[in-house]
Amino acid sequence: MSDDGRIALSLTLNGQPLEVDVAPCDTLLDLLRDQLGLTGTKKGCDMGACGACTVLANGRRIKSCLALAAAYDGEAIITIEGIGTLEHPHPLQAAFIRHDALQCGYCTPGQILSGIALLEDKPRALAAISEGMSGNLCRCGAYPNIVAAIAELAGL
Amino acid sequence: MNPQSTPRWEAALKVTGQAVFPAEVQAEGLLHAVLVGAPIASGQVLSIDAAQARLTPGFADLVSYPEAEPLRASSVTALIREPVIYFPGQPVALVVAESLIAARAAAHAVRVTYEQQPAVSALDQVLDQAYAPAMAGRIPAASRRGDSETALADAYLVVRERYETAVNNHHPMEPHAVVCSWDGALVTVHTNTQAVFGTRAAIAHAFRMPLEDARVIARFLGGGFGCKGQLWWPWMMLAMLASRRTGRPVRLELTRAQLFTLAGRRQETVQDMALGFGVDGRLTAIEHHVLAQTSANAEYSDTTAGVSRWLYACPNVTTSHRLVRTNEPQPIPMRAPGVAPGTFALESALDEAAMRLGLDPVDLRARNYADHDQDAGRPWSSNNLLECYRVGAERFGWSRRPAPGTAIDGCWRIGWGMATTCYPAHRQPCRARVRLEADASLLVQCGTQDMGSGTYTVMGQMAAEALGVPMSRVTVELGDTLLPEGPFSGGSQVTASLSPAVAMATTALRGRLAAMAVADPESPLAGYKPEDLDFENGMIRARTSNVAEPLADLLARREPEGLEAEGSSDGPDREGQAFTGMGFGAVFVEVGVDPDLGETRVRRVCGAFAAGRILNPLLANSQYVGGLIGGIGMALHERTVTDRASGRILGDGFADYLIPTHADIPRFDIAMVEEHDPLLPGGVKGIGMLGTAGVQAAIANAVFHAVGKRVRHLPIRIEDLIGD
Amino acid sequence: MSGPAFGYCRAADAGDALIQGARPGAAFLAGGTDLMQLWKMGVATPDRVVDISRLPLSAVTADGSRLSIGALARLSDVAAHPLVSRDYPLIAQAILAGASGQIRNMATVGGNLLQRTRCPYFRTEDLACNKRMAGSGCGALAGQNRQSALFGASAACVATHVSDLAVALMALDARVEILGLGGPRRLGLSGFYRLPGDTPERETNLASGELITGVSVDSGDRFATRSTYLKVRDRASFEFAVVSVAAALQLEDGVIVDARLAAGGVAPMPWRLVRGEAALIGRRPDAPAFAAAGALAVEGAKPLAHNGFKIELLRRAVIRALETVTAQTAAAQTIGGDA
Repeated sequence: MSDDGRIALSLTLNGQPLEVDVAPCDTLLDLLRDQLGLTGTKKGCDMGACGACTVLANGRRIKSCLALAAAYDGEAIITIEGIGTLEHPHPLQAAFIRHDALQCGYCTPGQILSGIALLEDKPRALAAISEGMSGNLCRCGAYPNIVAAIAELAGL
Repeated sequence: MNPQSTPRWEAALKVTGQAVFPAEVQAEGLLHAVLVGAPIASGQVLSIDAAQARLTPGFADLVSYPEAEPLRASSVTALIREPVIYFPGQPVALVVAESLIAARAAAHAVRVTYEQQPAVSALDQVLDQAYAPAMAGRIPAASRRGDSETALADAYLVVRERYETAVNNHHPMEPHAVVCSWDGALVTVHTNTQAVFGTRAAIAHAFRMPLEDARVIARFLGGGFGCKGQLWWPWMMLAMLASRRTGRPVRLELTRAQLFTLAGRRQETVQDMALGFGVDGRLTAIEHHVLAQTSANAEYSDTTAGVSRWLYACPNVTTSHRLVRTNEPQPIPMRAPGVAPGTFALESALDEAAMRLGLDPVDLRARNYADHDQDAGRPWSSNNLLECYRVGAERFGWSRRPAPGTAIDGCWRIGWGMATTCYPAHRQPCRARVRLEADASLLVQCGTQDMGSGTYTVMGQMAAEALGVPMSRVTVELGDTLLPEGPFSGGSQVTASLSPAVAMATTALRGRLAAMAVADPESPLAGYKPEDLDFENGMIRARTSNVAEPLADLLARREPEGLEAEGSSDGPDREGQAFTGMGFGAVFVEVGVDPDLGETRVRRVCGAFAAGRILNPLLANSQYVGGLIGGIGMALHERTVTDRASGRILGDGFADYLIPTHADIPRFDIAMVEEHDPLLPGGVKGIGMLGTAGVQAAIANAVFHAVGKRVRHLPIRIEDLIGD
Repeated sequence: MSGPAFGYCRAADAGDALIQGARPGAAFLAGGTDLMQLWKMGVATPDRVVDISRLPLSAVTADGSRLSIGALARLSDVAAHPLVSRDYPLIAQAILAGASGQIRNMATVGGNLLQRTRCPYFRTEDLACNKRMAGSGCGALAGQNRQSALFGASAACVATHVSDLAVALMALDARVEILGLGGPRRLGLSGFYRLPGDTPERETNLASGELITGVSVDSGDRFATRSTYLKVRDRASFEFAVVSVAAALQLEDGVIVDARLAAGGVAPMPWRLVRGEAALIGRRPDAPAFAAAGALAVEGAKPLAHNGFKIELLRRAVIRALETVTAQTAAAQTIGGDA
């Protein structure tokens, strides 16, 4: 920790090494959105109850609003910006577009990262996808199309 | 895929995280704002001591009543100009600081003293003070046709029951936010509003500035559902004041908890319903009396009893709305305002009547079909409700409805229920600009905003189809007061308002292009008649031969700077109108109820809707499904709870205010009944609200069918189903 | 509004954690899922958090018939661990019934046992709550108390414990491994938790600065084929229990020789339904036995204005859970063909 109380972190962010310092009570979400300008990760409730802030930490999906940034020193973080681009979207991003799995789009990055992590578990039924995605709320009601997009990639 | 089912225009931006929402606008030297809320429910602010707050590292400024006082007085600025507390959590000051953490710490250090006054924390505490407002939403609060008292006395059957609905909150996933900055007298305001032009007007009024000195931008909204409107403006204006005083950009974002208090709510209702029937099952009388909450500082009533005036044929109808003022947050329209709670009462009561009359619920409704708008005494522009019943029932398999209480799946009792839904077709004045660039790409512009309902897509699509330009060559710009003025996003009216304006602009462009081509000796189309030309795949093509010319070639020769046209449409003059525009639908639901554990899960929903011309079936399907899911939330989950002792909201987060999750979602089957409306411009009706109503009653009716328990309040919860 | 800024340090090892944790104002941070919420709500106001998340206390091991789970094991890892999913499905089921996939990837076993109540009076600044502010009263007692306790509450506090995992561990007679500056000690889970009495702010018998290092279960695998976790809630997922029941049976010659019943959402701690258990011992697993267990399980419940329905709900949930356990047994017999 430095004299002014800030903490130096080494992260791998979307595949790139990153040296950054944070305040002790900064969450990973604060770091991404406010300090790094990576606003694809959304702040929906800031209490771990909506999933809009979902990112991958060492390959596992977490809620970045409840993740103290300092505790993730050394970890590999992947955000929506690291998943795909406009020109080369991730297959799940492309499936979301095809299935119209979004309306306002605010929960969408979290849904996609959560879905990518869930696909690693190889869900074998639609119900497993629905249950596995229940940490990601959507108020517009895009749920059936989100599940359809994930199911397509799961081969269901 | 239907060729009109073009994917959402902005989808790629949203799935890659590239869509920038208002809170995410980057600004050099940004200050972070936090609101200081009052802990009391009613009273006066006596003093605000910021001495400690100013000592907090990073503190930049505090604005409160004295700083806001110079703003022009209005209903919008009253809450920030006058130090009176009407509900707990009402902000009394705004602190800005170098970081959000510093702003929170400084806000914590602000010392406020109050003179507390007695408060009303629940509707039932002051029933004797209920009063009748003049208006309920857009219609008069009371109505009377015929003589319902006599008709009820003479009726073959009377169903008289009370139905109640809970307070709901909108909860778009994106909280309200503003990033504002001043450049001299000019201000730029990025905020997630459902009305950029209305927001600009409010700012100009309050800050005593010309309209053109304020620019309001909302490129993307993370949902709205009715709450991103004027209740947000006072708090937005506090941030603007702080920005002007500090000379720095300021960002204010509401917390999720603040969305329970500062952004509006669906008012709770107590609805007394009486239906009278003749022996043939025809309605002879409807009485629908609504009691609802409004806040201590403002009056609002949903159009809750409106549906009883127009949905069915009935000679004797009496309706009324009364309000009770409490020291709770202000209600405003929310997803299918009025119609959602109103159909819960009316459609539940009809189901009770069907049981007692021994009639099929669909049959009972069909018998009472209104072939014209009996409330206004004029024809419908179109009404295909009977077809919705037929199509919905057939696709759902309604004729195979089991006897009540007999269908069982493991621990689950299966029940089927249905209900009617409707929503008025609204329109607003709208302007739009369509520009064909020299390379034959299209730019379509309107100042209205897209809440997530698909405005970008349908607007681009309308222009693209009219001019034969592929969607990949279309750019749409929305959500900026520098663009041509468009309507606010609410009441499912944007598409209906935009459609004629875009059509006018594209028609003008087609005319000019065609005239240009036939008059140009260098064009292969020279000498053809303009009316024989078609626009497709970037070409102008003669219908009568194989001759065609790329638009880009024509433009390169004749209009190398490109070509643009504006279109406009008027809102309907309601009083002078000779017809009523209304969308209709029928919702069929299958629920499972675990009679031992009281759990209810919706298993299957079929909605058949007739709402004019459908521009994009893919997006329309999403809209209907989204509305139905909102209705499921209202039916089974959503309930905002006030602590009677303190007036505070209890459980002000998504852990306690339950909305449906992925696991709560049934299978959907949406039927879009074809409807050619000859009278509405473009034949377009709004669809966003239609799916959100009706489904609540359909669920309650299905629960009754499953387990024989009639629940007359929402949400329906475990304790309602496990008692005796 | 969130509490004041805090400092951060990472514990180098368990000994360092104890030293850092002994300082006034220190709070251990493991997964952080509850602590961060409480801080943001202004309920927890640590001066400094001591990050223990990387201490080597995350192993899941079996030693003979004892299952040991490190306190810092992530819930998702525990549920997916073959030892747990195969021999202790009750634990896996309870974990997977709770929270969301993302939270389970962050939250730890030790943190889960210590998570604070969801009583809204506790989690709303300025409202009366003796647990948050001693002497301020209990807002829930005469206020909204749908989620309040039926058992074990006091005039000072009617809040419930909401962990799903703890209910399963209570049914399995788990023990909590504790490390303090004075050395390690071990408490049974029922002795680990405290009832509110006049001191609702003290929820466990963990001394200040002590660290949970793990939990262990002895011989719980004998319930592997005859256990279930039933969670009743208002929506299908991602919600705390309205009522939950962990049930486990051991049968010999078709007679119940050991029965475990514990309930969640009904008491200030995971609640063993000992009278319900006693009603089952020596009986065949049939409807009359289950009905008797259900009836006895709710004896002594004390309802408030809004939670009375939970008495009947708990009775029925006990019966349903026992029926589910028996159905599993029947299915296993059909598949295995043995008696």
